[in-house]
Amino acid sequence: MRIHRFIVGVVVISALVSCTSASDSQDDNPKEVILMAYDAFTPEKGIFDDFTSSTGAQVKVVTAGDTGTMVSKAILTSGNPEADVMWGIDNTLLSRAQNADLLVSYEPVDEGDVCVNYDKKWFADQKLDVPTTLEELTQPAYKKLLAIQDPVASSPGLAFLLGTISLFGDNWKSYWKQLLENDVRISANWTTAYTEDFTIYGGTYPMVVSYGSSPPAEVFYSEKPISEPPTGVIESTCFRQTEYVGVMRGTNNPNIAQQLVNYLLAKKFQESIPLSLFVFPVNKDAQLPQLFRDFAVRPEKPLTMEPTVIDKNREQWLNEWRSLAL
Amino acid sequence: MNGFTQIIRRLQVLPLLFLGVFFLWPVASMLARYVRLSTLSDVITDHSLRGVWWFTLWQAALSTLLTLLVGLPITWALSRHKFLFSHFMTGLVTVPFLMPAVVIASGVRAILPNSPVLGILWAHLAFNVAVVVRLVGPRWALLDPAMEHTSADLGASPLRTFIYVVWPHIRTAVRNASSMVFLFCFSSFAVIAILGGISRRTIESEIFIQAVRLGNVKTATALAALQALVVMCILFFGSRHTSDTTDISSINVRLNQFSSSSLPKIVVYLAAYIPLIVVITPLLAVIARSFILNNRFSFSGYAWLFDGSTSQVGINTSTTLSTSLVFAVICAFIATSLALIIGFSRSTQWAISTVTGLPLVVSAVTLGLGIIVTFQNSPFAWRSEKWLIPVIHAVISLPLAVRILSPAISAIPHDLHDASASLGADTWRTLWRIDFPLLQPAILRSLGLCAAVSIGEFGATSFLTRSGAETIPMAISQLLGHPGDVLSQAAYALATLCIVGLSILFSVL
Repeated sequence: MRIHRFIVGVVVISALVSCTSASDSQDDNPKEVILMAYDAFTPEKGIFDDFTSSTGAQVKVVTAGDTGTMVSKAILTSGNPEADVMWGIDNTLLSRAQNADLLVSYEPVDEGDVCVNYDKKWFADQKLDVPTTLEELTQPAYKKLLAIQDPVASSPGLAFLLGTISLFGDNWKSYWKQLLENDVRISANWTTAYTEDFTIYGGTYPMVVSYGSSPPAEVFYSEKPISEPPTGVIESTCFRQTEYVGVMRGTNNPNIAQQLVNYLLAKKFQESIPLSLFVFPVNKDAQLPQLFRDFAVRPEKPLTMEPTVIDKNREQWLNEWRSLAL
Repeated sequence: MNGFTQIIRRLQVLPLLFLGVFFLWPVASMLARYVRLSTLSDVITDHSLRGVWWFTLWQAALSTLLTLLVGLPITWALSRHKFLFSHFMTGLVTVPFLMPAVVIASGVRAILPNSPVLGILWAHLAFNVAVVVRLVGPRWALLDPAMEHTSADLGASPLRTFIYVVWPHIRTAVRNASSMVFLFCFSSFAVIAILGGISRRTIESEIFIQAVRLGNVKTATALAALQALVVMCILFFGSRHTSDTTDISSINVRLNQFSSSSLPKIVVYLAAYIPLIVVITPLLAVIARSFILNNRFSFSGYAWLFDGSTSQVGINTSTTLSTSLVFAVICAFIATSLALIIGFSRSTQWAISTVTGLPLVVSAVTLGLGIIVTFQNSPFAWRSEKWLIPVIHAVISLPLAVRILSPAISAIPHDLHDASASLGADTWRTLWRIDFPLLQPAILRSLGLCAAVSIGEFGATSFLTRSGAETIPMAISQLLGHPGDVLSQAAYALATLCIVGLSILFSVL
């Protein structure tokens, strides 16, 4: 009896709760459109004001862990999404989302590169030439100088591995044997590799796998105004990462969702993302800020790989990599 | 049968309903959806996982042993003696437990950059000594020192006194604490991820990799089911002999803390300060880092926290602090109330305490994903609700609260109740005048520890969908997730503020 009363109570309360959130489920004039993104999505303040004044809908940003977590979660409830629009699936995860029928449409929204960064001062002090290719990283001169991330656990780590596979093809394993013999430091994630292993932050490794946009970020978030970043990028090591934005399958507000996607691809928003997200816009009309024109690296011909190829081989490559590295 | 007992009987449904809805249901949905016999057998026969199982088990066992070796002396010193800074120290040893594992691990890594196993053991030890101090301490403090004095007067050595007089009374608490520590280490995730490199993995990190990195939810869930099975066996054997409810015939909460040992003072200091140094060194490494910028002493990290520098990465420090605080209060209140109900309903104690132990058994990844799956449809479409975060924190901290309050409640002698009743006090008056004063330290400890779990929780929180309500560990990890010395310095400053604030809070409690 009492248990029944409790259950009835819970159902009633939850029905009340869900009524309030379900009231805007028609597309005519939604007051809110929900944008799901990874944790590091930090748009410029007030950037959605124009969207709200022209459509009457507020943009609510919800975050859901890193990109892998966000996609894995969304796939579990594919077709009954938490949000209307998803920002930030990258080319290493796109096929997984497609297989799960997560999005009704998707388009590239920004791009960037994962590249080996180096500590300029360290190389100058040691009078050592900065390596210019992936091959050179296996030379004895660069022993114990490179910090990378575990590709199984980290997104830039995976991008770096994919870059080597796209360059060396079937010979990637023998390349990695040499690289591992040269005592590369493998950390769990970008944070550990960059903020602990890298010489800039007190570590002992003057080269680290990071992003082509890390040098301008170093200037932007520097303690003292500096005219030049302390770090550089080895261009030939860059692997292109493209992020996508799309309307989620099952949304109640497909029209406003599509409008939001259009807004995210339009010039104003695209021009805001270099300095808020440290990625490059895909819209050709968008002007790059001075900081990016000066210091960010976007190679003409980066290493690339098709999302379908990545998806088909990822698990096998990771397993093979693990048996090499362990 | 009196009114109070009846009300407690009725209220028993609350903790069960709470765990049923927010824990069993999500986990059962995951298992029902994704576990198949074929994947289970694949996972069992997978050779590459044998090493992972083996490492998970032995590191947890060794970590537990080390935690007891370091934790029991300091527990003894703190619960039996009052000395310089002893109150503050109780707070201090608890702080690592509340810190996000990310912070402890990076502190350890700064000191031991190249020894993964030693680093893991140290981090687990630093993290878990608080569990021993907080679970065994209250029990030990309730023990009447007169018994030890008598034993000593009769010529027993301190060791003999410990084995024959003290141990029988703290045995249950030590066993409870050990099984908690073992389970925390067994399902450790962040510490292993940061310190273990690629060669050292636990089942928990394997579950995360399978589910999130490789998209093999079936494999992940099968692993989680096996992990839960193993953990349940451990819990079962660990709690098999814990039915002894040693009644302590005379307690005096106020008296017992006076320094009353026949041992020289220096022994007390050594027993307290050596473990303390082991426990807080990783924190000191973090604090030191917050003051050093480009090899110079600097306060800038603290200024950047509050001058808006961090808002570029979406962190507003005051919002983060108040969010964490509000969540902590909600979580502490829910978990402690439910644990009090469980503690007072003595009749079915073993059953309920087994059920409340379950949140320890299931991986945060499974719970996180289960919540997404379960709470997606009306009328239970709660997956994006802000309140879900402190509620899940309460689920996670309930086992701790139960393990603090149940032993304390069962240690209240029945004859005190009888005496109170025979003097004409009704049950409520007895509760108010007898039980609550006796339980007050345990209740405060439970509130504090649950609040701490909420403040430090990272695993499940990172799986829940959030909108602008970042907790402290989420903020620290986001600040560390971008290049630029301003942000990483601010992250260490935030971690340091957290360390200082919690030390003060816990020395007051």
